[in-house]
Amino acid sequence: MTEPAAAGIHPQSSAASAPLAPTKLQVRDLHFYYNGFHALKGINMDIPEKKVTAIIGPSGCGKSTLLRIFNRIYAIYPKLEAKGEIILDGENILDSSYSMNRLRSKVGMVFQKPVPFPMTIFENVAYGIRHHEKLSRADLDIRVEQALRSAALWDEVKDKLKQSALGLSGGQQQRLCIARGIALKPEVLLLDEPTSALDPIATGRIEQLVEELKNEYTIVIVTHNMQQAARCSDLTAFMYLGELIEFDRTEQIFTKPTKKQTEDYITGRFG
Amino acid sequence: MSSSSFLYTRRRITNLVALSLSMVATLIGLIFLAWILWETLRQGIGALNLNLFTKITAYGEEGGLLNAMVGSLIIDFIGIAVATPIGVMAGTWLAEYANRTSLGQSIRFLNDILLSAPSIVLGLFVYTIVVLPTTTLTSGNTTFSGLAGGIALALIALPVIVRTTDEMLRLVPSTLREAALSLGIPQWKLTLQILVRAARSGIITGVLLALARISGETAPLLFTAFGNNYMTFNPMDKMSSLPQVIYQYANDPGEAMHAIAWAGAFVVTMFVLLLSLASRLVLSRNKVSHD
Amino acid sequence: MQANVGVAASTMAQEARAHRDARHDRLFSWLLKGCALLVLACLLGAAGATLWGGRHAFSTFGWHFLVSDAWDPSTDTYGALVPVYGTIATSLIALLIAVPVSFGIALYLSEVAPPWLRTPVASAIELLAGIPSIIYGMWGLFIFAPFFADHIKPWLTNYLGGKPDDGKLSWVAQHVPFVGKLFGSDYPFGASVLTAGIVLAVMIIPFISSVMREVFQTVPSRLKESAYALGSSTWEVSWDIVLPYTRSAVIGGIFLGLGRALGETMAVTFVLGNAMQLSPSLLDPGASIASTIANQFSEAAGLQKSTLMALAFLLFVVTFIVLLIARLMLRQLAHKEGR
Repeated sequence: MTEPAAAGIHPQSSAASAPLAPTKLQVRDLHFYYNGFHALKGINMDIPEKKVTAIIGPSGCGKSTLLRIFNRIYAIYPKLEAKGEIILDGENILDSSYSMNRLRSKVGMVFQKPVPFPMTIFENVAYGIRHHEKLSRADLDIRVEQALRSAALWDEVKDKLKQSALGLSGGQQQRLCIARGIALKPEVLLLDEPTSALDPIATGRIEQLVEELKNEYTIVIVTHNMQQAARCSDLTAFMYLGELIEFDRTEQIFTKPTKKQTEDYITGRFG
Repeated sequence: MSSSSFLYTRRRITNLVALSLSMVATLIGLIFLAWILWETLRQGIGALNLNLFTKITAYGEEGGLLNAMVGSLIIDFIGIAVATPIGVMAGTWLAEYANRTSLGQSIRFLNDILLSAPSIVLGLFVYTIVVLPTTTLTSGNTTFSGLAGGIALALIALPVIVRTTDEMLRLVPSTLREAALSLGIPQWKLTLQILVRAARSGIITGVLLALARISGETAPLLFTAFGNNYMTFNPMDKMSSLPQVIYQYANDPGEAMHAIAWAGAFVVTMFVLLLSLASRLVLSRNKVSHD
Repeated sequence: MQANVGVAASTMAQEARAHRDARHDRLFSWLLKGCALLVLACLLGAAGATLWGGRHAFSTFGWHFLVSDAWDPSTDTYGALVPVYGTIATSLIALLIAVPVSFGIALYLSEVAPPWLRTPVASAIELLAGIPSIIYGMWGLFIFAPFFADHIKPWLTNYLGGKPDDGKLSWVAQHVPFVGKLFGSDYPFGASVLTAGIVLAVMIIPFISSVMREVFQTVPSRLKESAYALGSSTWEVSWDIVLPYTRSAVIGGIFLGLGRALGETMAVTFVLGNAMQLSPSLLDPGASIASTIANQFSEAAGLQKSTLMALAFLLFVVTFIVLLIARLMLRQLAHKEGR
């Protein structure tokens, strides 16, 4: 019932107006059901490579849900179901034959609250690498250092790699989680409201980091903070009630949105 | 006017009486606590002497409790060593694999029942499955053993450990699971190397509580470890334990034996209270800090 | 470049790892499940082992076993009535004392006491639960039973009961039915059904009061505040609002205490007197299922051993049912909280 209607009423502007880069992730008619509740209604979008794509919208609009499908982390909970296609490098990751291991080494994720593992700082970063690759101790040291440097954390922790990660500040913990994610050399990095638990200074550092990381990674960031989306993304998607309302260059969305709902949200009339 | 003020006075008096009674009830509880602890301290410290820790029970009034203390340590150790891995794994299954399934919920429910099941029946169960079969194997010599006692205590420790592990793991935020799984870490690694580690202090608390619980247990040992009058370190042999010797000596007519029993009671009480203190310390010092 | 070969090789390695991980995950979950099923096996095993051990007694005595007060090793005739009566009587006395006291403690700690006093007093009461039952037994045998014989029992026999064998009966015993029987005794010592009931009460007070305190704290404060706003007193709020709101969990807590009392061995064995006789008086010694097993099992053989196993089976089934009710009642509150 709703599927054709949803697709019909909202022909996606898609990335057609954003020929910035080749497409990395293609979302095709994606539906998501949560305990029978239709949470995502026919999403279509093309996420370009090595750009920052922000997803905004009022809480409950499905933006985090969408992000959590990109690495199928939703699958650890029962009674959740995704229908449709998400094409990563030509293969549908929602296909059951697509190995979880492969998907998760290609798509990294950072969560709202920093979640360091109860281990040392070094182990936090090395843990994931060790699972996917057999490296010599020296190579492992190099990989950990690289990851920590890319996450702009190395200078702060290089003298205390053997200390527990739980002793770091919130902002440092979050950068550690980013380091942990990029240590696996993923191609896509998903950030789920990565700064919502941080103070303004730590937030600034993370945003700066996102800016640097986009040279190497395709980044998708979910945020409830419109200024953040405006500051650090190349494209912005606006979602409302499980539908993708508008998806365009960030500049375009924030200055000349084509949809009334987008404009209402951006100007603060709801949400 | 006067009737309403009468009603008001009556309600105030009822309130006052009820609240005073609640204070009296609390005092009663505290008085019994103080009375029991005081007598254990007074009688126990009065009976303490070096013999208790150097001589074995074979000398009776002139003897000590050394073999019973050693036996208690061995039996308790076996109990904890058997119950901890099984209990932690069972608790992990309840929290991580079967949290919402009906089998998981039934087992969690039954575990709570096992937690308060009569220990003497569990002792008879172990008698039936351990002592009796080995007796048959040794052609009729009843084979009470420290090992059987340890297994009986393990059955008592098991539900305590299952429950704390289950509860502590469920307190670990699900974001930690998601973070590890999104790195491609398999579930078993995530469970053993991250979740159990995150809940470690809580699980240790559970083990300490279980140890406190079993170190005072007497009933199931009477027909599993049975008791002896000599020093042994062999878990396949009959074995004394402090609670069992206390039970035996307290029922003895001799006053001197009662004194030794009190000394044993003092040692057991101190051990148990120190353990519960330690478990509280572990928990408060190592709060899982993922808020 | 050999990029293609490299990618293919790494993909294959990844697939192999994925398979291995999946296999390990399966094995791991089976192992954990097996451990969890052991909990189930313990309960079934305990019931099965005692039923199997008691099969001779059940088949020899049949249903008559439950109502016979015989206990004679010389003729090998046994009945369950004496220990069953002792178990039920001591547990009921324990509840009669422990429930109001526990309610008082829970009320004091959740509504009356100044906040700074609550945690220390609550921890002290919980300390009672940590004391091993053998210590209760020692204290009961050497301290409380003599105290009871010297100070409480004479008063009870003088004013409520009497000494039936001497023909001395109190005024109450002559004029009020039953009471004289309950409190009449010629037996001079402290060990008795009532003594065991009191010691059991002290043992289960911390269990019942901590459940009650916990559930009282789950009452939403808006509920209490709105009652206070109508001018209710603390007592009225507790009795009319808090207690009805938490009723099922309070009953659950009481049943939990009952379950403990029924199966308690050591504390009871020391102060019950271990007399295999049926006496109407609470001041006479008696026997409970657990104390009978503890006293006789090591020396028993043949039918007597089987009888003790049969008793253990009865005890296990009854406590299981009591604890089942307790947990079901407690779960209702947990559900209410969850909503």
